[in-house]
Amino acid sequence: MPFTSPFAASTAKAGHGSIELSVLPPDTPVLRNVSYQYPLKLVAPDPLPPPDKSTDADAPRLVHTVFLLTYGGGIVAGDSINLSIGLQGRASLILLTQGSTKIFKTPDPTLVSRQHMTVSLVQGSALVYLPDPVQPFAHTAFSQSQIYTLEKEEGSLCACDWVTSGRSARGENWDIYEYKSRNEVWTVGEAGKKRLLLRDNLILDKHGRTGLQLSRRMDGYSVFGTLIIRGPVFASLSQFFLDEFEALPRIGGRNWGDAAQPELTPREQRRAQRQQREKADGLIWSAANVRGFVLVKFASREVEGSRNWLRDMIREEGSILMAFGERAVLCLK
Amino acid sequence: MTMSADQQSLRDEIADLERRLEDAKSRLSPSTVISTNPTPANDAALHALLLLADSALPLGSFAFSSGLESYLAHHKPSPPSASQLPSFHTFLRLSLSTLASTALPYVLAGYRHPEDVETLDNDFDASTPCTVARRASIAQGRALLTVWDRSFKAHNSTTTEAPSGHDGEGNAVNKAVMDSLASFSKAVRTSDNINAHLAPLWGLITRVLAVPLHDSAYLFLFSHARTVISAAVRASVMGPYQAQAVLASTELQDRIRGLVEEGWDRTVEDAGQSVPVMDLWVGRHEKLYSRIFNS
Repeated sequence: MPFTSPFAASTAKAGHGSIELSVLPPDTPVLRNVSYQYPLKLVAPDPLPPPDKSTDADAPRLVHTVFLLTYGGGIVAGDSINLSIGLQGRASLILLTQGSTKIFKTPDPTLVSRQHMTVSLVQGSALVYLPDPVQPFAHTAFSQSQIYTLEKEEGSLCACDWVTSGRSARGENWDIYEYKSRNEVWTVGEAGKKRLLLRDNLILDKHGRTGLQLSRRMDGYSVFGTLIIRGPVFASLSQFFLDEFEALPRIGGRNWGDAAQPELTPREQRRAQRQQREKADGLIWSAANVRGFVLVKFASREVEGSRNWLRDMIREEGSILMAFGERAVLCLK
Repeated sequence: MTMSADQQSLRDEIADLERRLEDAKSRLSPSTVISTNPTPANDAALHALLLLADSALPLGSFAFSSGLESYLAHHKPSPPSASQLPSFHTFLRLSLSTLASTALPYVLAGYRHPEDVETLDNDFDASTPCTVARRASIAQGRALLTVWDRSFKAHNSTTTEAPSGHDGEGNAVNKAVMDSLASFSKAVRTSDNINAHLAPLWGLITRVLAVPLHDSAYLFLFSHARTVISAAVRASVMGPYQAQAVLASTELQDRIRGLVEEGWDRTVEDAGQSVPVMDLWVGRHEKLYSRIFNS
C-alpha cells in the first residue's frame, strides 16, 4: 500500500521566498507571511515605530524590516533565487542585506546564477531597499532582476542597485564572465493593463565589439550604482538629489579668486565638504527627473567612496531616517 | 596494373569534381545577375538609403556629440597640449557599443513590428535614464518625422507598391505599415505620452521606404559614428581628413557589421546599457562650464 502523507504537499521550491505585508484594521501593519527555502533566508526582526510620529497622521504606526540573506553569504554557481514581495495598504518595509552579496566562481560561463525579485506596491505603501552592493568575484556569471509593480502609478519606492568590481584586495577588477542587473517599474491600470514606467538594465558581458577589456570599459571605476526614487514619501529626498546636482560646481569652471567669497550657510558648508570628499574619492554622479522618477547614477574608485556618499546624502536630507528610522541605512554604515 | 587503375580513378574523380564545380558555378551565376540587376525596387531602396545617409538630412544631428564633449572634459590630457586622439578612439568604440545595446533593438523592432511603434516609443523612453540623452533622441526623432511628413510622404505613396507589391497581400501589408506611421504621426501631435524617439521611428520609416533591414540597421550605427566623428572635428580633436580616414576605415566597417550581427536577434526587453559610465558622461554634460553641443 502506498504511503500517504498526512500533511499537505509542500509547494515550496528551492530558492523561492515570499513576503506579504498588510494592514490589520484599523491601522496596524503586520507581516502576514514570510516564507523561504534554501538557499534563501529571510530574517524579520521586530518592527519598530518610526521616529517621527507627529507630522503625518496617515503614516504607518510600525515599520517592518526584512533581511535578505543567503546561506554562506553569497550565491553559488547555478543557484536561483526567486522572491516575491507584496505590500498592501499603508505599510512600510525596509529591505536589507547583511554584507555584500557575493557571487562565487562558476565552472562554466554558461552556468548563470540568478536572483529574481518582484515587488508590488499600492497607494500609501512604501519600500526602502538600500542593500549592500553585489560583489561578483572573478569568473562568475550572474543575472538579477528587480521588478516593481505599482498599482495605478501609486506607491513610494527608494531602491538602490549597485555592483563592485570584485575582490579588489585580490587584484580582481571586473574579471567576470557576465553580470546583468535589470530594474523595471511597471504600472497596472484599471483594466489590468500594464505599462512600463522605467527600465534600467545593465549588461556587462563580452559583447559590444569594443575590443577592450571589461575593466577598460569601466574607465577606472570600481563601483557603479543606480538609485531609483519615486512617490510622495520620498518627494523631499528626490528634490534634494536634484538640488544638489544642480549645485555641483561646473566641470572645467575656474575660481579666479576675484569674486568675494560669500558667507556660507551651514548647509552650504556641509555641501562644500561633501563635494571635497567626492573629489577625493573619485566619485561622480548625476541625477535626472524622468517620468515621475528621480534617477541617480553614481560611480566611484572604491566601494567606500560610494557608500559614504550615499549615507551622507541620505543623512543630510533626513526624511528617510525620520519616516523609517536608522535601520533603513544599516547597509550604508 | 593497380597503379594505372588508381590513376584512372583519380582522373575520374577530378573530372567529376570539375563537372560539379561548373554545375555549381552555373547555378550561382543567374542569381548573382538577378541580385545586381537594377530593378526599380532596388533603385528605390538605394535612393532612400542615400537620402537618409546624407549629412544634409535635416535631423539636426550636428548639434549633438552623444557625450563626447563631456567625455573629453572628464579626460583632460596631461600635459594639456597632448593629443586627445587616443581617448577619442576609445570613446567612439564605447559609444557605438552603447548605441548598439540600447537603441539598435528598437530600430529592428520598429522595422519588424510597425504596429507596436507606440509601445516601443514608450518603452524606449522608459529605458533612457537621463534628460540629456532623452532630449537628443526626441529632437532627432521628431525631426525625422517632420522630414517624412513634409518631404518624403508625398513622393512615397506611389513607390511603396513596387518593392513587395507583386500581389494584393503585399500591398495590404504596406498599407498597414503606412497606417501605423500615419496614426503615430498624428498621435505625436495630440498625445502627451508620445515622445517620438529616434530609434523606433528610424526602423519604421526605413521600413516604409523599403530599405532592407540590414542596411537600415547599418546606416543607423554608421550615422551615429559620422555624427560623433564630425563632433570630434568641431571639438578640435582631429582634422577633417583624419575624420574621413576614421569613417572609411575597415576597422569601423567591421565594428558596425559585427554589432548589427550581434544585435540581430536581441529583443527590446534585453536592450540595456553595456557601458555604465556612458550614462554618467552624458548625464553630466549639463554640468560643463562651457558647451558647444546639446549633448
